[in-house]
Amino acid sequence: MVKIVSGFSIPVGSTVALVNLCNQLNDRGCNCILYGPDNWHMDKCKSAKMSDFYPENDDIIIVHNIKLFSVAELYKIQDKIEELRKKTRLHSLKTTFTRHLPGSRKHVGLKLILTCQENDLFPIRRLNYGMFDKIHYAHSSQINSHKIMHQHFVCPNFRNHLISSEHKPIRTAGVIGSIRKENKTGISIEKALQDDMETVILYGYLIDPIYYYKQIVPLVKKYPGKIRFAGFIDDKQKIYDSVSDVYCAVGRAWSLVKKECALTNTCYHGPDIASMEEESMTNEQIFNVWEKELEL
Amino acid sequence: MKNFEDDFYNLLNLLKIREPFAFNRFSDGELYILQNKEVIADAEQVKVGQNVTAAGIYRAEDFKRFHPDEHSFYRERLVDAFKFKKKNYFKGLSCRCCVGDENFQWQLDFHGEYDENFTWANLLVNGNYAKFIREMYPVFNEYKAVFVCNENADLSVLPFLVKDFRVGYNAMIQDYSLIERIKSWISENNIEGHLFLFSASSLSKMAIHQLYEFCDRNTYIDVGTTLNPFMGMRIDRTYLKSFWLGAKGADISKICIW
Repeated sequence: MVKIVSGFSIPVGSTVALVNLCNQLNDRGCNCILYGPDNWHMDKCKSAKMSDFYPENDDIIIVHNIKLFSVAELYKIQDKIEELRKKTRLHSLKTTFTRHLPGSRKHVGLKLILTCQENDLFPIRRLNYGMFDKIHYAHSSQINSHKIMHQHFVCPNFRNHLISSEHKPIRTAGVIGSIRKENKTGISIEKALQDDMETVILYGYLIDPIYYYKQIVPLVKKYPGKIRFAGFIDDKQKIYDSVSDVYCAVGRAWSLVKKECALTNTCYHGPDIASMEEESMTNEQIFNVWEKELEL
Repeated sequence: MKNFEDDFYNLLNLLKIREPFAFNRFSDGELYILQNKEVIADAEQVKVGQNVTAAGIYRAEDFKRFHPDEHSFYRERLVDAFKFKKKNYFKGLSCRCCVGDENFQWQLDFHGEYDENFTWANLLVNGNYAKFIREMYPVFNEYKAVFVCNENADLSVLPFLVKDFRVGYNAMIQDYSLIERIKSWISENNIEGHLFLFSASSLSKMAIHQLYEFCDRNTYIDVGTTLNPFMGMRIDRTYLKSFWLGAKGADISKICIW
C-alpha cells in the first residue's frame, strides 16, 4: 500500500498536491491513503488521522514536511509531529544535535520517498535525507535550491480539470495562495489596485493572522471597499470563474497558478517562470512517472 | 462526554452539507439577564445585580442596559429563546470553566429537561477560534449570506453577503422590532437556503430563536465578535488579541469543558 504522511494537512498548496496524488493513485487502481495531523484532508481523498498511521511490510511511504532523523521515528509519528509543533527551545537544541548523528538507514520491507513541495520553508539539508530511497521534486529547479546529492526524480503535481468560464467578471483580481509574509500577499494587492482593479479577492488559507492584521487591514482602510477576504476555497473552478486577473508576487516554479490561469482564460500577473518540459505533462504522463519511480 | 472540538466540527459539517441549523449562544451577559439581575455595561461602569465589578470598559456598540422591572418583556423573550427546542436548534451555554459550577448548574436547572442540542456558548471562540476563521469562515462563501450587525461595521471585506440589517446601542431593546422586519423580508423574497449571521449582542439570541421557528430552511449563526477584525471593529477581546496580534493569553488555546 502507498501511504502518504504529511507534517500538516491544512488547506495549502502542498496538501492539495498530496490530496490530488492520493486520488490519482486510487483512481488508477493503486491503493493509497493520506495521513495528516489536521482535519481538512479527511473528506478530500482516502484518508486517515495521523494516529492511525503505522508502517507495515511492503508499504511505500511518501513523507512530506516531517523533519525525520531515523526510520524508528516513523513508528511513533504522531508523537514526533506533536513534538515538532511545540517548537520548544529544548526541541531546537535536540534537533541541532541529532541531525549530526547518523540515523538508521535500515528499513527492510519499506520504500521511503521524501516528497519536496517547498524550498526555504523545508530545507532538506536539515533532516536525515539519507534514510530515504528517493527524493521527489515537484520541479527541477528545486534540485539546485536544496543542493544535496541523493537519488531523486522530478515530477510535477497532478492538475485539476479546469475550463474557461463563459462569463468572466471584469477588473476583478484574485490573489491566490496562503496569507503569509513569505507570499507577499500585500504586495500583490497593491499591484492589482495600482492596475485599476475594482475589487481584489483574497483566496487562501490564513496561515499568519498577525501578518493579515498588520499588513492587509491597513490596505483595507487605504482602499475602502476594494479588498475582500474569502479564505481557502476548495473549488478552483469557482475561484477562476470569479476573477478576471490573478496577481502573484512570489514565483514558485512548481506552482500551478500560472498554468491554471492559462486554462481558465484568466490574466496572470506575476513572475515569469521559465517553462520546463515537465510543465506540459498530462496527468497520465505524471502518473506514469510515479508508477515507474514507486515500482507499482 | 461532550467534546469542545467535536461539537464545532458537528456544526461545520452541517454547514458543509447545507443542512439548516441554528446556533444560539447564551453568554454571561444573557445568563445574568436570565437570572433577572440588573445589567449595565457602558463606558462608566459594569454592573451586575448589586455588584459594580469594574470601571466601564465598554464602547458604544457594546453598551447594554437591562433593568428587570423596566425590561421584563425582553427577558421573557430571552427565556423563550433559551427554552426553545427544535431539531438542529443548538443552544450554547456558558460553561463551568468560564462562569463557575454554580452558574453552570443554574442554567441546567432553569432550563429543566436536558437538551441534546446543548453546546458551548464559546464554541466559535477560545481554542476553536483558529478553526472557525480558517475552516468555517471559508464555507460561508458557499451561501448567500445576510448579516445582522452594528451600524458602524464595515462589511466590504466579506464577499459572501447579499444583505445586511443594522442595529445600534442596546439593540435587544432599541431594535427589537427588527426581528419582524427580517421575517417580512424572508417572506416577501422567499428566502431559503440562506445563511444569517448575527453580531447584535442579546438581540441575536431572540432573533435566532424567532427566525428559526419562523423559517427553519435557513441557517442562523450567532458569530458574536468573531468577525470584528474583518469589519473594522475593535479587537479588545483576549482571544482576538491573541490570534490577530499575537498577544499573550491563555484563551486562544483554551478547550472549554462541559
